[in-house]
Amino acid sequence: MEPNWAAEHLQVIRTLMERSALYRRALAPIMILAGSIGIVAAAAGYYFSIVQPVSFVIYWFSIGAAAVCGAFLMSRRQAWQQSEPFWSPPTRRVAQAMLPALFAGFALGALVLLSGASAAAREQAPAPNRIVLVCLPLAWVILYGCAIHAAGFFMQRGMRLFGWGMVLGGSGGFLALGTQTGPGLVVAGFGIMGFFFGALHLAYGIYLYFTEQRRNDA
Amino acid sequence: MNPEPFLQLDRVIHEKGRLAIMSMLAASPELSFTELRDALAMTDGNLTTHIRTLQETGYLSVTKSFQNNRPLTTCSLTTAGKKAFTSYINLLEQIIQQTRPK
Repeated sequence: MEPNWAAEHLQVIRTLMERSALYRRALAPIMILAGSIGIVAAAAGYYFSIVQPVSFVIYWFSIGAAAVCGAFLMSRRQAWQQSEPFWSPPTRRVAQAMLPALFAGFALGALVLLSGASAAAREQAPAPNRIVLVCLPLAWVILYGCAIHAAGFFMQRGMRLFGWGMVLGGSGGFLALGTQTGPGLVVAGFGIMGFFFGALHLAYGIYLYFTEQRRNDA
Repeated sequence: MNPEPFLQLDRVIHEKGRLAIMSMLAASPELSFTELRDALAMTDGNLTTHIRTLQETGYLSVTKSFQNNRPLTTCSLTTAGKKAFTSYINLLEQIIQQTRPK
């Protein structure tokens, strides 16, 4: 018998025990909230023509922060109603899994802000461009999909599929819109954000609302 | 090496599939049949067989209910199951202590 056999056995047990601590907050209301915010924000951004690179990034960072705060409050409320700690091991694991990809998305946005600040210092206003209005949103979609997929390991299987959907959709978007130029850029930019972060979330939230069978008593 | 801990290992838990089920349930108050099946990548038949064995040994309890008009099977460890699992882990730790180079 291998001398490390028992240690490997224990490691497998530990891994399985960690994996079984599933994150089971009801995601339907969170998805519906995020989707509604995304759709309204895309429509408002398009209507008010928030197309300057720096404004575009600050606008979507603010919307993202609002959606995260809303999701945080909803999760907090659920935990409170079920007399559970909010920062439970599954919650921590989900947050840790999502963080790297979300941070990368933030860094991309921050890069645009820095280049905008640099241009402003030279008294040049950067014009709306394909990189910011199309490529950046698609990169956000792909990174967000990666974050969801990573967190999906500790959640219902559907979340991983949703993550895959975002990654494939974002990649397909690059192929379809990566060379977009002209006035269609603005529509494409807000369309991408509204469709992926609005409509898809809303649709998935409604789907979860009608199909969620598991109790939230992890 | 003292072979005693090896001989004391619970044969019911020691099987790979059943050990995985016990490990999952040891960290969660209860898990549904679907959650166990998906997490462990087992077939329905395989999982059912292991659950039945654990149930017959008294290590696992199965609750059948309905949710949204669909049958829901949930599994949880019994007190005897938790105790047997803890003993199993303790024996593994003893074996590790014995095999560790001094």
